[in-house]
Amino acid sequence: MSENDQPSAARRGVLRTLAGATVWAGAARTAWADRQPDALDLPFKNGHRDLVAFPQKRPLILLTNRPPQLETPFSVFRENLFTPNDAFFVRYHWSEVPTQVDLQTYRLRVSGKVERPLELSLAQIRQLADPVTLAAVNQCSGNSRGLLTPRVNGGQLSNGAMGNARWTGVPLRKVLEAAGLQAGAVQVTFDGLDHPPLKNSPDFIKALDVDHAMDGEVMLAWAMNGEDLPMLNGYPLRLVVPGYYGTYWVKHLSAIEVLDRPFDGFWMSHAYRLPDDACRCVAPGAAPASTRPIGRFNVRSFITSLLDGDRVRVGHAQQVRGIAFDGGEGITEVAFSADGGRVWQEARLGKDYGRYAFREWTTVFKPTRPGPYALRVRAVNRIGQSQPMEDLWNPGGYMRNVVETTHVVAV
Amino acid sequence: MTRFASGLLGAALLAGFCHGATALEIALPQDTTTYQPSALPGYPLALKNCLTCHSSQYVQYQPPRSPRTYWDATVHKMQKAFGAPVEDADIPALVDYLSRTYGAEARPEPVHAAK
Repeated sequence: MSENDQPSAARRGVLRTLAGATVWAGAARTAWADRQPDALDLPFKNGHRDLVAFPQKRPLILLTNRPPQLETPFSVFRENLFTPNDAFFVRYHWSEVPTQVDLQTYRLRVSGKVERPLELSLAQIRQLADPVTLAAVNQCSGNSRGLLTPRVNGGQLSNGAMGNARWTGVPLRKVLEAAGLQAGAVQVTFDGLDHPPLKNSPDFIKALDVDHAMDGEVMLAWAMNGEDLPMLNGYPLRLVVPGYYGTYWVKHLSAIEVLDRPFDGFWMSHAYRLPDDACRCVAPGAAPASTRPIGRFNVRSFITSLLDGDRVRVGHAQQVRGIAFDGGEGITEVAFSADGGRVWQEARLGKDYGRYAFREWTTVFKPTRPGPYALRVRAVNRIGQSQPMEDLWNPGGYMRNVVETTHVVAV
Repeated sequence: MTRFASGLLGAALLAGFCHGATALEIALPQDTTTYQPSALPGYPLALKNCLTCHSSQYVQYQPPRSPRTYWDATVHKMQKAFGAPVEDADIPALVDYLSRTYGAEARPEPVHAAK
């Protein structure tokens, strides 16, 4: 085994293990890493980004250092239907991010309108019910914001603020049943160990309606893809809200409170809100008459086996592969076009890992002439929802799900 | 791979998968980004006010040509909604610096890589 070519624990960033504690820094540069690009250009103006390895992460697209915000390079979706933990995107709102968690002292508090307030260790949470594992996509509300026309201010992300993982934990319902909901419970709030650095700033706290919190699917997860959560994905415990945008998937979960009224905190009542109409959209630049909190994912689909600018061989029939997902109805149909959307052919759906997971699709593409091809993909879910051919626009730049186009050249 | 490194990896795997690690600690990379130097009076105000909570990429990566109205609304949002201790008297100079350094009034082109 060559000293230079194989990643060692030290190079992967493990500084030391001591009495069961694992300490990680960003991975040291290696001969292998030195051959990888250390920056890339996202496909929009002012899209030049460094690729940086944060602790427990491979080099990812660096959006911001403080707080850490990392986007998954899109090529990762070509290689993996389940997004590896070290490539999974990272999004925080405040820069006081926990960098050290000790399970001896970590506790989850359950309070408010409950019969029995609880303070649970992770070991106690694990014993509340048989563990369940669910494949589910997590996606940032602002995934793809940088690609919107006209542009919207905010985090300038391409399509990599999403990921598909197998989450393992216990249903939130079991925790709430252990505490015992009082009559009149309306909403449940979730707070994590990440906080603002200043006292007057609104802490990042999210809320779900009681019925949603008790649906048996919303989960408190300690593992993704069979391993402990990476710190930057919420170690030791995070909320998993299948089919809902990542804003609800509170990381480093430390406090649950049951309320007898709707929660009015900043991150529910002012941020992450959408026009309150069927398309959740307005004319670009317009202000919505009324708004509502963001909720479930809309339908999305992507080509993953070919990336913008790739070359394909004329006369060669090749498999094209991709992914589709929605907010939990399940994908029932994917169509592929090799001519910018005039003629569509049905793609074949791959293995079904559940209605919240990436659904792989494949089709055959045979370019008959040299030159550029605009490849497009469009998915439909079980209740007939699909994707728009043109961007739908809202002031937050949320929920982009236009039919994607991948430009390739046949030679 | 050295025997020592191999041992470290083994210990990490054992701790993670067999017995459950009892603690996790990370060391985040240092934030070396900062604001684009300028003779405008808003430059020191950006250093003073806008690095407490977040790194400068929040500003640097906004769409080029973002208008003065955006920077004005954003500075007010930081003060009112996010609790940034920005003095009212400092807001015009701060907005002017952001608009002329990173926004629509930047010349000749917006700054892309302030490091």
